[in-house]
Amino acid sequence: MKIQVEATDGYTIVSVDGRVDATNANEFEKSMMKVVEEGCTKIILDCSGLNYISSSGLRIFLIVLKKMMAIKGQFILCNLQPEIKEIFDISGLSSIFPIYTNKEAALAT
Amino acid sequence: MLQVNNQVDELTRVAGFLEELGEEWGLAMPLIFSLNLVLEEALTNIISYGYDDESMHTIKIYFRKNGEVLSISIIDDGHEYDPTLRSDPDITLSAEERPVGGLGIFLIKKVMDNVEYQRKENQNYLILTKNIKS
Repeated sequence: MKIQVEATDGYTIVSVDGRVDATNANEFEKSMMKVVEEGCTKIILDCSGLNYISSSGLRIFLIVLKKMMAIKGQFILCNLQPEIKEIFDISGLSSIFPIYTNKEAALAT
Repeated sequence: MLQVNNQVDELTRVAGFLEELGEEWGLAMPLIFSLNLVLEEALTNIISYGYDDESMHTIKIYFRKNGEVLSISIIDDGHEYDPTLRSDPDITLSAEERPVGGLGIFLIKKVMDNVEYQRKENQNYLILTKNIKS
């Protein structure tokens, strides 16, 4: 797993590459919490390089979403690969996360 | 057959094994993804909740392909636990109401066509089958 954070005025784009599973969910959580704690109110998670996720990873997505909602911020996902999107659909997460097909659309919100 | 220890790091080896098996059996990438997910969820449960002691335990995983039916049997010597009895999470809840966990077994049931549990000789047998006709 590789995480890149790009903070600009008003929003932060986090790109996650590789796998988010039970072996590295803690590391992913720490990186995401760091971004949340920096006080950004709009986080866009670019998932174009995310090629695997399990419930351990989905758990962190939900934690971040709840944290952002609590501060009236936004946590937006974009560029989900079809297999990842399917897991979101099966889990009923597609209806609670704002999901966009590309970064431009996510930025426009 | 694949044998793993009750350690989360073993999941990396499971993913590698599945990729090789997928190549050998000509399985499509989305199917390998699904099988990896199912195995991770089942193994993480066993590793996290199956044992009281600190000892090393071995979990055996058997893979079979019979025509278009693929089956995975996972055998562990942990506590008796029947995951098929676990009730499904309510996936219609709002983000505020939604608990952050409890998706693992649900995902296994959704991805596979049949999930069967047996307890024999102090071991848990989880038998997962899926029709892989493309």
